[in-house]
Amino acid sequence: MIIKKLCKVVGDQYVSESTGERYIYSQDMTENEPCQPIAIVMPESVEEIQAILKIANETKTRIVPFITGQNVGGLTIPQVEESIIIDLKRMDKILQVDEEAMYALVEPGVTFGHMRRYLDAHHPELRYTYPLAPPYTSVVANALLQGLCDLSTRHGAMADFVNGLEAVLPTGELVRVGSGILGEDNWFGRYPLPDLVGLFSGWQGMSGIVTKMALQLFPKPPHIEHAALFTFGEEPTTEILKRIARKQILDDADCMSLSLVKMLLGVDYPVEALDGEPDYATLIAVSGNTEREVLEKLSVVEDEMERAKSKEPRQLLVTWDAISKLMGEQARSWIDFPSDAFKILTEFDGLTWVGTYIHPKAWGKALAGGRKIVERYEFELMAFLKPMNGMHFAEFKFIIRFPKDIENIERVKRCNSELLDFALDNGAIPYKTPVWAAKKLQERIDPQFIALLRRIKRSLDPNNIMNPGRWNL
Amino acid sequence: MTKEPSVISEWLHRCIRCGNCKYIFRDYDKSCPSGQHYRFESYFASGKIWIARGIESKELDFDESLLGPIFSCPTCGSCEIQCQAPHQEHIVDIIEELRAHAVETLGPLPKHKGFLEKIQKHNNPYGEIHHNRELVNIHGLPDKAENVYFVGCTSNYRETSIRDATIHILKTSGMNFTVIDEVCCGSPLLRTGQRAEVKKLVKHNLVKIKEAGAKRIITSCAGCFRTIKKDYQKFEKDFKLEVIHISQLLPSLIESGRLTFKHTKDSPRITYHDPCHLGRHMGVYNEPRNVISVLPVEMVEMSRNRENAWCCGAGGGCRAAFPEFSLATGKVRIAEADEIGAELLVSTCPFCVSQLREVNDTDMKVLDLTELLSSLIR
Repeated sequence: MIIKKLCKVVGDQYVSESTGERYIYSQDMTENEPCQPIAIVMPESVEEIQAILKIANETKTRIVPFITGQNVGGLTIPQVEESIIIDLKRMDKILQVDEEAMYALVEPGVTFGHMRRYLDAHHPELRYTYPLAPPYTSVVANALLQGLCDLSTRHGAMADFVNGLEAVLPTGELVRVGSGILGEDNWFGRYPLPDLVGLFSGWQGMSGIVTKMALQLFPKPPHIEHAALFTFGEEPTTEILKRIARKQILDDADCMSLSLVKMLLGVDYPVEALDGEPDYATLIAVSGNTEREVLEKLSVVEDEMERAKSKEPRQLLVTWDAISKLMGEQARSWIDFPSDAFKILTEFDGLTWVGTYIHPKAWGKALAGGRKIVERYEFELMAFLKPMNGMHFAEFKFIIRFPKDIENIERVKRCNSELLDFALDNGAIPYKTPVWAAKKLQERIDPQFIALLRRIKRSLDPNNIMNPGRWNL
Repeated sequence: MTKEPSVISEWLHRCIRCGNCKYIFRDYDKSCPSGQHYRFESYFASGKIWIARGIESKELDFDESLLGPIFSCPTCGSCEIQCQAPHQEHIVDIIEELRAHAVETLGPLPKHKGFLEKIQKHNNPYGEIHHNRELVNIHGLPDKAENVYFVGCTSNYRETSIRDATIHILKTSGMNFTVIDEVCCGSPLLRTGQRAEVKKLVKHNLVKIKEAGAKRIITSCAGCFRTIKKDYQKFEKDFKLEVIHISQLLPSLIESGRLTFKHTKDSPRITYHDPCHLGRHMGVYNEPRNVISVLPVEMVEMSRNRENAWCCGAGGGCRAAFPEFSLATGKVRIAEADEIGAELLVSTCPFCVSQLREVNDTDMKVLDLTELLSSLIR
């Protein structure tokens, strides 16, 4: 009955109950348990979404939003039977770019690749930011999930770039938050207002469906330079990172196990750490309005590396010229966003991580402790640590690529569980949190926070139709 | 499942469904006709690979609802260009093996079954009266020759001016060639999962080519070219004949002065459509362009060209079984050519030409390269 109603809203060709579709949308690349939806519906307009949610409310049908499913957290897998997935990829318009206030107003189906293409063609002096993810990841989803990007060391998580949004509430009403409440062409910021972006940011699709989002753009600097640090030891590496990040001169700093660079260079799976090689490679990006500004920033980095060398002479800063000669075409892959660097993560059909945001005091300990766990489970070393928002915190994770067979899934589950316990012990908060991780988190956090979440959820979604079970709520 | 080595098994745990197959690498324009038309995940290459994984791992059983996603793909191979994962070169093979399994389990799609029945009865998928050998008498061709021109069913029974233009070019340039009593090359069956009958077709054609004493096969059809050059060795391990597409022969004929062209007052604006079976499947991009470059025309490229060219939508059995999708895909290509102000849209495949002519609602002319050349020969 509900399928007929949905067909009436979006047209028969945009509702599918097919076996193949239900199978594909029931899972993602992670180890999280699959759960088949009963159907997938693909609206094209705000009005269609409103109509769908009204029908869902009347029939108490569970709804799970989906755009590209690249969250690496199982976040589009239904948590209850008989759910319907709303695939938003047809809503893929960049509605407005404001050159002066530097923001883009986009629909949820817009991906990083499309944003890059559009800005390069129409607004070449502006740029957005890009994650270590396939280019066909939703810009809106990544902002809502508070992900990171290649300007996070300077500007923070992607949720910090949201100027405002429009959303359909679970009960079907259309609401706006941010300065766009005063009318069109006015999406310059979130303040000074009650900051209701927080009703949607980090909620994993439990509080409504975002139909438009205004996101900050950034001037494309005329001069950008990269360099790489090759370093030994967890504590020395993170000490160097902290010292450099505190100078507030970096656009980005990606500290990763050397294995990831070896993968870019084409070393076959499984990539092993060899005695005597650096433990970590950190890609740094600096930019400026003049070449001189960039060189000055790099000289600050050089000074810090000289200081580090006095303690450990093997710590090394390598210029991009040298990296390019060493790596050839693959050097471009390391810095070419959005797209290229992600390819090293596509070795198998399985990919997962325990991603967290973590206090600076725990960075070294986290890298060292996580490494021991991953080595014990005999996975490749793929640590990743990025200082965020100046130096206030870091994104920290261990990535695992694996063939998605039963044996490996079980091994991954045990390893991730241990990694998360260890991260929580160190005060880290998991991001893009799968349900199993939310459960572990909830065992440790202030219960009043969970009570508040439940209260807000009940208020917005009285019939609990939006992604029920997500975040273990 | 088949007893042959399984490409699905070999690459079972590779596709992460990252979506790179959906758009042009580093350019981000659309690249997947099927996914772009239907939009659901199963219609993109990654979705089909996951369906194959589901079937292979027995998490999925074949049912009728799977047939649309599995068969409504022109197997244009753009996904193989855009994918950056280890299985990238095997995606079309995975899709074709999945189709073969679907046919084994549920039977062919009715329209595709029609190909088989017509080939069995008439030796061609169009159901036309078989007449190929008559060309020998019509054109005064020898019984034996160094080269066999493999005409192909679309040129022989639909776009006959391409056949005639090719023969005109070969005769004018003094090539020692003949035609054989050919039957369908097998492409329509291979592309639609109907593998069982193909061996017979391969055997027949190879016997006739041997009887003609030929050392080389020349095709004017990109589909025949791909099938004979790439697929025949799967059926005949000793198959060692040289196979070339006419566009690969033309540069040497022009360079040696065996083909010369009239001077014309006008230089029409021309663009070139890369057939998937010639370009992405076989890597032939430059030769047709080199030929065009010596003609009295102004060549302009469409925004998506060479390995990123948008498919005409006809291949993989789509034109017969999914005409709405197929024609919509072709219209996109016509619009792309029209957008750059092309007066002539030239290709090197009779099936592409047929499709693009069918959907062309502009003043632009659609021609095969052989037709264009034949009209300019002095």
